[in-house]
Amino acid sequence: MTQYIVRRVIQAIPVLFLISVVSFLLMLSAPGGPANQFNQNPHISAAQINKWLQDWCLVQNPTPLDTVREYLGWLGVWNCSGGSFLSVHGLPNFLPAFLGGGTNGILHGDFGYSIETGQPVLGMIYQRLPTTIILMGTAFVLWATIAIIAGVIAAVRRYSFFDQSVTFVSYVLYSLPTFWLGLILIFIFGEALRWFPVQGMVNVRTSAAPFATQAYWQSFFADPIPNIVDIASHLVLPVVTLIAVSIAGDSRFVRSAMLDSLHQDYVRTARAKGIRERQVIIRHAFRNALLPILTNLALEIAFLFSGAIVTETVFSLPGMGRLYYDGVENSDYFLLMGILLIGSVLVVLMNLLADIAYAFADPRIRYD
Amino acid sequence: MAIPTDPTLAGVAAAPPADVAKADVEVALESLSQWQLAWRRFRKHRMAMVGLGFFAFMILVAIFGPIIMPFDPTNIPGTTNPAGYPPSLAHLFGTDTVGRDVFAMVVNGARISVAIGGFSMLIAGFIGVVVGAVAGYFGGWVDNVLMRVVDTFFAIPLLFVILVAAKFFGQGQVISLIVIFGVLSWPLIARLVRAQFLSLREADFVEAARAVGVRDGRITFRHILPNAIGPVIVAMTLIMASNIVLEAFVSYLNFGISANQTSWGNALANAQSALGLGNWWWAFFPGMAIAVTVMSINFVGDGLRDALDPRTRL
Repeated sequence: MTQYIVRRVIQAIPVLFLISVVSFLLMLSAPGGPANQFNQNPHISAAQINKWLQDWCLVQNPTPLDTVREYLGWLGVWNCSGGSFLSVHGLPNFLPAFLGGGTNGILHGDFGYSIETGQPVLGMIYQRLPTTIILMGTAFVLWATIAIIAGVIAAVRRYSFFDQSVTFVSYVLYSLPTFWLGLILIFIFGEALRWFPVQGMVNVRTSAAPFATQAYWQSFFADPIPNIVDIASHLVLPVVTLIAVSIAGDSRFVRSAMLDSLHQDYVRTARAKGIRERQVIIRHAFRNALLPILTNLALEIAFLFSGAIVTETVFSLPGMGRLYYDGVENSDYFLLMGILLIGSVLVVLMNLLADIAYAFADPRIRYD
Repeated sequence: MAIPTDPTLAGVAAAPPADVAKADVEVALESLSQWQLAWRRFRKHRMAMVGLGFFAFMILVAIFGPIIMPFDPTNIPGTTNPAGYPPSLAHLFGTDTVGRDVFAMVVNGARISVAIGGFSMLIAGFIGVVVGAVAGYFGGWVDNVLMRVVDTFFAIPLLFVILVAAKFFGQGQVISLIVIFGVLSWPLIARLVRAQFLSLREADFVEAARAVGVRDGRITFRHILPNAIGPVIVAMTLIMASNIVLEAFVSYLNFGISANQTSWGNALANAQSALGLGNWWWAFFPGMAIAVTVMSINFVGDGLRDALDPRTRL
């Protein structure tokens, strides 16, 4: 077991490294490049620009060696202001600051500054996090629940009317472009029926302050109920949009995992022992089908992230996806690198956790 | 997965002589090639046939539509109605807010959307097969390095990368978007091909080929690959479908195809702003074109899954 976990963690390290290289190369090889972008922004003073350029080893027309240095500086392995691998304390720069390492680079939690606003990237992401977490969390819980229930019933009543309808609806939903489904829902439930708001996270007329600001949270906790209702009504359409397409694929996955499990010998044994059918399905068949289902759900977190961009842009929700979209629009390199990196690292960690949990839960998994 | 325990189905046209000799004896009853058998199975799948028919129709629209019904997005006729004209005989799918015909948009958009989906699928298939074959056949550190790269692709949310790549490197060009979508969507294929290779390289007929001194490259491409091709083709249909949707989204955000060209995503680009005016048709019809095309591709993929699996029998 320990050996397996260590192996999986070691496997994750090159992936994390490659993710950082990809995020970096994608941005730095883009036309313009951060150094030029900084210069074009009138909101930032020349002194600020020079300080950042120096802190991040950025140069106007980098040679390949400069690029490597920029990457290592961005990572935090290279001490840009000192120009060496050692920090001001004379110790390796990649160590945490309290152990005598440097303070620059993503390893030390420094994701740089937004080229557009001049604010620290991490702070901007932090401010947008609640929206994305609420959206993705709600979507994930509903999505998993519905997919599992629909898939299990479809498997138990195989070839019934319910099963066939689930299959048919899955096919249709699976083929819909998420953003287009959002547009259609906006028209039907937002414009024609006027049941739900179609923009933003809160009602801008009634709420005390923009969502997720300090003033907003103060008014939120002063009187939570109407605020929760407000957020919930704004979330209905985005959440439906986000999960409709994913549920389709997953309910089919649950159905086939459940069918596999229902044909196993232990299910037949349980039935032969005279256990009630309901118990056989829940206790014996479903519990064994749960493992592949959970792994599959964990793997789909990456898709949920992609889906968050789609829904947040279509519904103008102030989340990380929308922030990313704005970043692409403004060529805000450090912001994009930060979001891309944090998102991907989260996905790696989730998959790692899922694998480890799987190994703990399934005694059959042994590795060499 | 599909280990050909039955040698009659192991040999495609390019099978080694030993296999063909054996296959001839056993298939003599029917004397059908593997592809003929697959086509027989495919024909039985009704939805797959419907999907194939519709997809063929879409290809025709993509090729001839722009010739029969030219559409110039820069030509703006204007309207008397701020929301555009609703669907009528003159404008089958209505018009957008500036009076451009949505039907012509859909017909003309087919070419770029289907081309991006189709050609990026071919690129992804090619890279994926080569990477997966190399990793699966050689194993060891080659496999390890390539699979970590694949893991990386799976960890980074694809849409994030595609948005940036399309905006920074796409330049609104169809060709560059095809390359971007192709280069970013191969890992699924590579993983599949590798898994097939891992099981097939231990198979007896590969062992036999190796024993008589066949070179690595030839074993890979003539003995193993034809047997691994089924799941790969199915995965390629999935990639084509998802790339059509991705293109639509990227162009909808104005990061994809430039505004003086027409794709289905491009047609949807400003449709959201018209929803508030009661104009639903502008958003509805291009999206339906995407949805129905994607659905037909998915049905074809489903039919292929059954048809190309040698374990399914007639």
